[in-house]
Amino acid sequence: MSEFLQFLVAGLKNGSIYALIALGFTIVYTATGAINFAQGEFFMLGGMICVSFTELGLPLPVAAVAAIAATAAIGAAFELLAVRPIAGDNPLRIIMVTIGGAVVLRQLALHIFGPDERALAPFTEGASLKALGVAVELQTLWIWGLTALAVVLLAFVYRKTTFGRAMRATAIRRDAARLVGVNAGMMVTVAFALAAGLGALAGVAVAPLTQTAFGVGAIIGVKGFAAAILGGIGNPITAVAGGLMLGLLESFAAGYFDPVYKDGVALVVLLLVLFVAPQGLLVRAGRVKV
Amino acid sequence: MNAKTLRALAPLVAVAVALLVPLVVSDRFILKVFTFAGINALVVVGLALLFGYAGQVSLGHAAFMGLGAYTSAFCTVELEWPWLLGFVAAGAVAAFGGLILAIPALRLKGYYLAMATLGFGLLMSLAFTEARPITGGVDGFTGIPFPSLGPLEIRSAASLYWLVWGAVGIAVLVAHNITSLRPGRAMRALHGSELGAQACGVDIVGVKVRTFVVSALMAGLAGALYAGVVGFVSPSVFTLTASITFIAMTIVGGTSSLAGPILAAVALTLVQYVDALIPGLPRETAQTIQSYQEDIYGLAIVLVVIFAPRGLAGLWKRRNAGGETP
Repeated sequence: MSEFLQFLVAGLKNGSIYALIALGFTIVYTATGAINFAQGEFFMLGGMICVSFTELGLPLPVAAVAAIAATAAIGAAFELLAVRPIAGDNPLRIIMVTIGGAVVLRQLALHIFGPDERALAPFTEGASLKALGVAVELQTLWIWGLTALAVVLLAFVYRKTTFGRAMRATAIRRDAARLVGVNAGMMVTVAFALAAGLGALAGVAVAPLTQTAFGVGAIIGVKGFAAAILGGIGNPITAVAGGLMLGLLESFAAGYFDPVYKDGVALVVLLLVLFVAPQGLLVRAGRVKV
Repeated sequence: MNAKTLRALAPLVAVAVALLVPLVVSDRFILKVFTFAGINALVVVGLALLFGYAGQVSLGHAAFMGLGAYTSAFCTVELEWPWLLGFVAAGAVAAFGGLILAIPALRLKGYYLAMATLGFGLLMSLAFTEARPITGGVDGFTGIPFPSLGPLEIRSAASLYWLVWGAVGIAVLVAHNITSLRPGRAMRALHGSELGAQACGVDIVGVKVRTFVVSALMAGLAGALYAGVVGFVSPSVFTLTASITFIAMTIVGGTSSLAGPILAAVALTLVQYVDALIPGLPRETAQTIQSYQEDIYGLAIVLVVIFAPRGLAGLWKRRNAGGETP
């Protein structure tokens, strides 16, 4: 029983990270109709920039917030420089630009931060909490708390603010949103900034547990996408649910079978979902835009 | 002979010129670099069909190349099959892998195939590393014999070069036939408007699946050639980075063209071996260029997609057409 609970905790921890990445995919997808292949790189940048800021002597909370803000700014710049010039075009072109952009971001990180793995100090020092024979690291609580906060904030902004309504209007229909005075181009920039910020938040939150390096973006990006599509792409709630599901699947597969399968699980899930139920498991079939 | 036939024959002429290189170049290392360029070109011919004619992106072609390389290595070393049989098996396994991936993925729109091939590529990287009994794991597969055709063993630098570029020539012929006949018209129609093509009775899924299988087949054969030329295969060769390199070559080369992507494949391969090609180049300069190699690929993709979506081939055609775009 305690073994099961321990895997559950680990699964929900990684699942929260995947949920944040999946949200990033969802936000850009709803705004542009395209998949942002650079999403995983924002995760990497968040962690790496935060580590560098702490090495420069900034206190951890300041470094974390600054790293997330800096990554969000990079996300906005990425949109303005690479995606804006081909906005409204065939989503395939946007996808190709983000593929190339992902390589450029990763290489920039390599040149600036070097090839070594970096570690971040935990947000709060202290022993793991123990209950029911399960140990929960304090950093895991931080990850859960920050993910929940990000999801609630995002839901609030999207539902209750004028800005959020403008975002949703753009996602539903770009030209109609423009007719009622929404700056649709600006909304896409903000979508990239938000997605980058969420990716960076995930990268910062998990860096104390798993070291980070310039090359971690690709695999986390694929896992985040697997989570997004597992739930059904384009819906923030199912994206979060998909992230948690993927985290649990991975954790139980690694725990009960062989840790070797951990990365494989996400990839097999991605392929299976694409092949069997591309509209996702958590939304009704027939609504998919194929 | 009108301009259209001339343009159609250009890739063949280029391959013919390429076949003459060993008569002029005697340096074995440089010949080897051009041999690698040919192997990349073989993968890129397949990707050019897929991307340039059928409008699909694959981020997993290094995995098909790896499937071919390991199949050929396994068949020739463990099963002691003749090389040619292993070569055919390599193509068959890669093509079969392509078929399995393509049928479900291609029912969906472009970005799903890109993501599916990315996932497939990462999964195969993992498999190459973990399936130790077959692949040799991280250490790789050693002692792969040189290619041989019956009793004739191909081991000199010049003959390996000819083997590889001969294969490229055949691939170009096949690709040229595909693109200029009915399947090619279907592919071009597809690129213009899927709905329109479908309305005209084009079996869009069938065309896409066949194109994808042909491209996987070519990548698999390229992998078998790689295994024979190098004599050693390891998982570090068939990574996402390699797949992105192939895509960069294809995108830079341009759509609706075979000559463009082949030229881009050669040019971008040469960047990797810049120190061998320019003898007087200072060591640091060469190292700097090599450490920024992936930056070059990434930036090239971004710039070409934004500023010249039809690639080098598109720029060339536009120039010749006096600024008129089709």
